[in-house]
This record gives sequence, structure tokens and C-alpha cells, in this order.
Amino acid sequence: MSNVKTASQNPQSQVASNGTKKKRGPWREVWRRMKKNKAAMVGLLIILILILSAIFADVIAPYGYDEQSLVDRLQTPNSKHLLGTDNFGRDIFSRIIYGSRISLQVGFIAVGIAAILGGTLGAIAGYYGGKLDNVIMRCIDILLAIPGILLAIAIVATLGPGLRNVMIAVGIGSIPSYARIVRASVLSLRDQEFIEAARAVGANDFRIITKHIIPNSMAPIIVQATLGVANAILSAAGLSFLGLGIQPPTPEWGAMLSNARHYLRDYPHIATFPGLAIMITIFGLNLLGDGLRDALDPRLKS
Amino acid sequence: MFKNKKLLVLLSMVLVFALFAVGCSQPADDTATPGTDDTNEPADEVTVKEELIVGQGADAVTLDPHSTNDQPSSRVSKQIYETLVAQNENMEIEPSLAESWESIDDTTVEFKLKQGVKFHNGEELKASDVKFTILRALDSSHIGHIVGQIDGEKIEVIDDYTIRLSTKEPFAPLLAHLAHTAMAIMNEKAVTEGGEDYGQNPVGTGPFKFNNWVIGDSIELVKFDEYHGEPAKLKKVTFRNIAENTTRTIELETGGIDIAYDIPPTDVSRVEENSDLVLQRAPSFSTSYIGFNAQKKPYDDVRVRQAINYAIDMASIIEAVYQGVGAPAKGPLGPNVFAGHQGLEEYGFNVEKAKELMADAGYADGFDTTIWTNENQQRMDIAEIVQNQLKAININTEVKVMEWGAYLEGTAAGEHDMFILGWVTVTGDPDYGLYALFHSSQFGTGGNRTFWSNDRVDELLDAARVETDPSKREEYYLEAQEIIRDEAPWVFTWIGENLAGVQKNVKGFTQHPAGHHSLHGVYFE
Repeated sequence: MSNVKTASQNPQSQVASNGTKKKRGPWREVWRRMKKNKAAMVGLLIILILILSAIFADVIAPYGYDEQSLVDRLQTPNSKHLLGTDNFGRDIFSRIIYGSRISLQVGFIAVGIAAILGGTLGAIAGYYGGKLDNVIMRCIDILLAIPGILLAIAIVATLGPGLRNVMIAVGIGSIPSYARIVRASVLSLRDQEFIEAARAVGANDFRIITKHIIPNSMAPIIVQATLGVANAILSAAGLSFLGLGIQPPTPEWGAMLSNARHYLRDYPHIATFPGLAIMITIFGLNLLGDGLRDALDPRLKS
Repeated sequence: MFKNKKLLVLLSMVLVFALFAVGCSQPADDTATPGTDDTNEPADEVTVKEELIVGQGADAVTLDPHSTNDQPSSRVSKQIYETLVAQNENMEIEPSLAESWESIDDTTVEFKLKQGVKFHNGEELKASDVKFTILRALDSSHIGHIVGQIDGEKIEVIDDYTIRLSTKEPFAPLLAHLAHTAMAIMNEKAVTEGGEDYGQNPVGTGPFKFNNWVIGDSIELVKFDEYHGEPAKLKKVTFRNIAENTTRTIELETGGIDIAYDIPPTDVSRVEENSDLVLQRAPSFSTSYIGFNAQKKPYDDVRVRQAINYAIDMASIIEAVYQGVGAPAKGPLGPNVFAGHQGLEEYGFNVEKAKELMADAGYADGFDTTIWTNENQQRMDIAEIVQNQLKAININTEVKVMEWGAYLEGTAAGEHDMFILGWVTVTGDPDYGLYALFHSSQFGTGGNRTFWSNDRVDELLDAARVETDPSKREEYYLEAQEIIRDEAPWVFTWIGENLAGVQKNVKGFTQHPAGHHSLHGVYFE
């Protein structure tokens, strides 16, 4: 559906890609439109804060993420421990800060895996069409028939728990959506004049796909990826909550939540803060994703 | 157009599937509710409640005592079956299905069975059932070791109510082993007729008979009217499977269950402070330990094992994790087990000493290792703290939480490095608590998952097994425990405690140190 919107934008961005100076044009336009969207800016701000805290975790966090102090365990928020301590006496604030690293890593790498694999499959299917298209897309349909989280659980159960396997599992689980989006874009692009022109000049399939088709179908992928990061973080947290994800003492938010549930009735703060961290992050990513979708839609251009 | 058509097909498929799913769930709900509702509702009409609901952390695996040796199953089996002799809460041997017994010689005991004992299927208990049961038990891979000393070929049925059992060599703890819940006497006819489904249709002689089992949810037992002893006071007992610890406590607080087994340390004060509930604390035979795979480098070096013993601050760990429940372990056996050595020299928390030993062993720079545990919250917590404390002596530990089946399989095959596990000395006899765990013949599935052996310990355990003089046995066991302490195949961790939360109106409930509590005498007030 979104491919319809982007299709009309293509000729113009194609023109842009011919001259380097003009290339920035459409993106600047997108930025201009997004700036007007307050919600999207809030989302962007949240994500920026998240990225910064992930980069500078060592500086921001007052304690190490696995620094235990059994004497200080189960403290409620106080001046020494901003968000209190968990059942091992670890500083929850520090763990949440370090946890942002894990979450972003999982989010981006899983989406990267999904976008690259799914995008490639979708592009091949859409570009060549026919039998190949049918085979690939039916395989994608099979993947789609299994709920994403279930597929991820099955993959992690096979590969064993751990950060790397969680990223692979979540990545594979979201391949279908990228494959479908890219295929849809490619289908609408492949018979456009500029592609025919490229072919007439003698460009091979690889060049046409990578240089002409992919750049022109970026918009829906970017939107999907932004929302996909949110999904990936949530899935990873879910897997860790079930004990299938990141292993201790790594401060993954879902694992922190899972661990805190035993103390929920007496020390709710242990569960509250990682839960809030997940919630705010997902909220931010969703706002940003929605904002991007609106900004990238040329029909809203004023 | 085509796309929309596809969407339409997809949507209608989803709709069909949804209808199908809804349609399917209906009958399933119907069968599930009567089981639980019946137990709740009529109870309000009667003045005194006669239906007890017990919550425990897992469903039984099977009610065929020869097909498993796990606590949730034996807690249910205990109500259905009886053994030849029984051990009360003080671990004294009492007559049960056998009225009396006498030793014929060093290796043979003659049992006189109680007459007129009826199985739940109406059959009468005969000596042939006892013989059948023991022969069947000997074939079981799960509990064969419990009766392994009995010589199957020499079981002699004298008459319908007299039977002689012989052991291959003198075996001091024979009666205690016969009192193990796994040695429940079964009815030959019922087992043969039951075939593969016997575990879902158990037939015993106990005060309650099996009624219904909703797999994964609950097991329902009803009073057996022809019970040979004093009849049970309850009409019905339901065991509910409530896996999440917190949920079990909440169910107890809200009156959904009458007794909750294994109250987690975090909920102890909550139950204690609730005026409608009673927290029953009782000694337990369970112990936890951190074991080393002593056949694998670097744990084949005693200095490394000792260094880790020094590097772990076990007292604070137990305090933090168990919060006053149970006690730090002082040796491989608890204080309530015969000959349990409580005066062993403690390693204590001494990082300097640990570093020295590591340097002596050539591991000043430490090594990478794993610590295995199952999904037991307290054990996972211990693993995480140990992981942290071992960093001080440069040991880089990865915590591996494993599913119970895979965990047992992996540790039996020797794939592990360090591991946290527990043991229940069911018989209360040190033979049960030491032989399986430290004898070289018990490597792997037998129980010795550290693969550690010591010739002198083997010798002592063998000698104590055939020795009948208690003071000599004690001497052997004490020496064996000293060696175990010095050779350090374990880090002694925790002595368990039985914690049950009970509604105030439940009377007559006592806990058995081996964990399988009898509900025979329980009643409501």
C-alpha cells in the first residue's frame, strides 16, 4: 500500500541521484516536514538520549552494571542509588543505562539482518518475477504464517540463548515484512522509464537493483525499520523475560523485569524502572516512525 | 483486484480459524471447570469443610512410582500408596503394610503382612503383590538404585501374608529404603491391566484413591472408604499445579488453596504476618551444593577447588538469597541426618588465600568457565553472585540456566564445569546421602555428578553400608566427610527447610523432612 505513495516520488529522486549537489534535496525536504511534527521530534529526542546514554554509559552510570553489594540490596530510590537497588544490591539506574546498549544493539542489528536478508529476497522476487518470485514469496508466506515471537523462541531454543542468537532469531522473525515491502516497491518501479533507460544504457541487473531500484524504495524501508527496531527491542525483552534471551549478569531490560517479578509485591520499583525504560523507548521509536512515514509521504507535501 | 481477492481469502481463512479455535476451546473449558468448581462450591454449604486443595510448584510426572523419582509425583503418590514399613516425621521406622518383621540372618528379613488390606480396585493385598512390586522396581532405571541391594532371585513367598527379602550382602539401611515412597506396594492385577496407562490410573492401598487428573493443572483424590487403617477425615484432596511461586502465595492469601508447599523466601514474612494463615516451618533433608567436574581441567586440581571454596562468601550469599530460610550447609549432610558431621572446619571467605592457591596451581591469571543451574530462582541467584565473586580471583564465569531434563542429562554425561544442584536424603540415612554422591561406582546418573572419587572414601562408604553396629558406621561416615571437606569436590551451600503456608482452619498437617507430606490426618476445624 505504501508503495503507491512512494512510486510517484521516484522520478524526482531519480533526477536527484544524477547530480550530487541536488541529492540532499529530498532529504532536506523530509527533515523540513518532520520538524513541524512535534510528536516526531519528541520521539527523535528520546532516541537521541537513548543513543547518547548507550555511547556514554561508562561516564553516566555511577556504578558498574554487575557491581554487587549484598548489604545494600533491595533499596528503594535514594540519593546514593537514584532508582534503588535490586536483589543483589546492584544499582538499577546504572543497569538501565548499560541496558540501553544491549537494547539498541539488539534493535539495530536484528533489523539490519531482517532488512538486508528480507530486502534482498524481496528485491530479487520483485525484479525477476515469475517462478522465482512465486517460490521466494511462498517461502516468505510460510514464515509469515508463524507468529514472529514463536518463530524467535523456536530459533533461540535451537541455537541456545545469548545475545547473538537473540539478534539472529529476532532478525529472522521479521524478514517477511521487509521482503514484502521491498518486493512491492520493486514491482512498481521495475517498469518505470528510468529503469528502462538504465537497461538501455547496458546496466546489468545487479547494478539496476542496487543503484536504481533500492535507493528509490528506501522510504518505506526506513519507516518499517524504525518501527522494526521497536519491535525487535520488545521481542528481545520478551525472550529475555522468558529466560531464553540475554544471560546474566548482562543488564537487559527484559531480563531485569523477569528477575524483578519475584519482588513485585514488596519492591515494585525493581520492576517499574526497567519497564518504564522499555515503554519510553518503544514510544519514542513509534513516534519517530510515524513522523517519518508522514514526512516521507509526498502527498502531504505543502 | 487480484491482491484484494487474496486478502479476502486470507481474511476468511483467519475468520474460519478463529471460529474453529473458539469452538474448540469451549468443550475444553467445560471439562476443566467442573474439576475445580466442584471442590470450591459445595464446600460452602457444609458446615465443616472436607475438601482440601494443595498447591505445589509442579504437576506430577506420573503416579507410577517406578517411572519417576521426583518430589511433585511422590507428594501425590504418598496419599495413594503405602510401603511395607514407614518412617514417621522423626524418621522412626513404623509398621505399615507389614505388621511385624524379624531378621532371619545377616541378609534376610521376614515380613508379616497385615491381613484384610484392600487395594482401591477391591483386590486384597497378598505377598505375591509385594514380590511383584519389588521385582518390577528392580527393573526400573529411575528407582532401581533404591532397591538395588535386594536380591531379586531370593525373594521368598512363604504364604499369602509372609514374605522374605534377602540382600546380596548385609545392608544396614534396608528398612529405611523400603520406607522410600518409591517402594510403594502395587497391585499386580492393576498394573498388568493398566499397561502403559497405569501411571494415569494408579491403584494403591492408601487412605485416598485416585479420581481424576487434568494434566498440567490438577490431580483429584477421593477418600477410600475401605481403607484398612483409620479412615481419612477429608472427603477429597486436590493437588493443584501452580508453578509461579508468587502466584501460589497469592492463591493461599485469597483462599484459593488451603495448603501451599514451598513458600519462597521472599514471601515468608508475608505469610507470617497474615492472621488467616500459618507458616509451618520444619526441618528438611534437602541440601544444595555447588559441585565441580573433578575430571575436567582445571577442577582436577584440588587447589583450584579449594581456592573457589575460599573465594565464595557463602554466609552472605545464603543470607541474601534465602533470607533466613534454612541454614548454610556445614557439610554434605544436614544436622538431622544420622552421622551428619557439623563440626567440619569451614573454609571461610578469604580471597588472599584463594589467590595463593590459584597461583600455586598455575592459574594466577584465572580461566574461563561455566556454572550450570536449573530454573530454580534461588539457585540462579546463587550462580549470579558466585559469578561476581569469582571475578576477584580472575575466574570468568558464564551462568548457564538449563531446563531440568537437559540439565540432568548434561551433568550425568560430564559436559559441565561447575554446577548447582540439590539432594534429598530421603531415608534420613547417611548411606543415601553419601553413597550416591561420592562413591566412584555412582558416576553420572547414579548421582555422583562431580566425577570425583577417592579410594579411602569408597572404602569407608562400602564398609559402613554392610556394618550393622551404629557407632562403627558413624565413625566411618565422619571420616568420609572429613576427606570430602578437604578434597573439596563441593562448595557446601545450603540446608533446606520445609516451608508450607496453611490456612488457619486446617489442622493435623505435619511436614515430613523428606518432603512428601502425608495428608491422612488432615482435617478442617
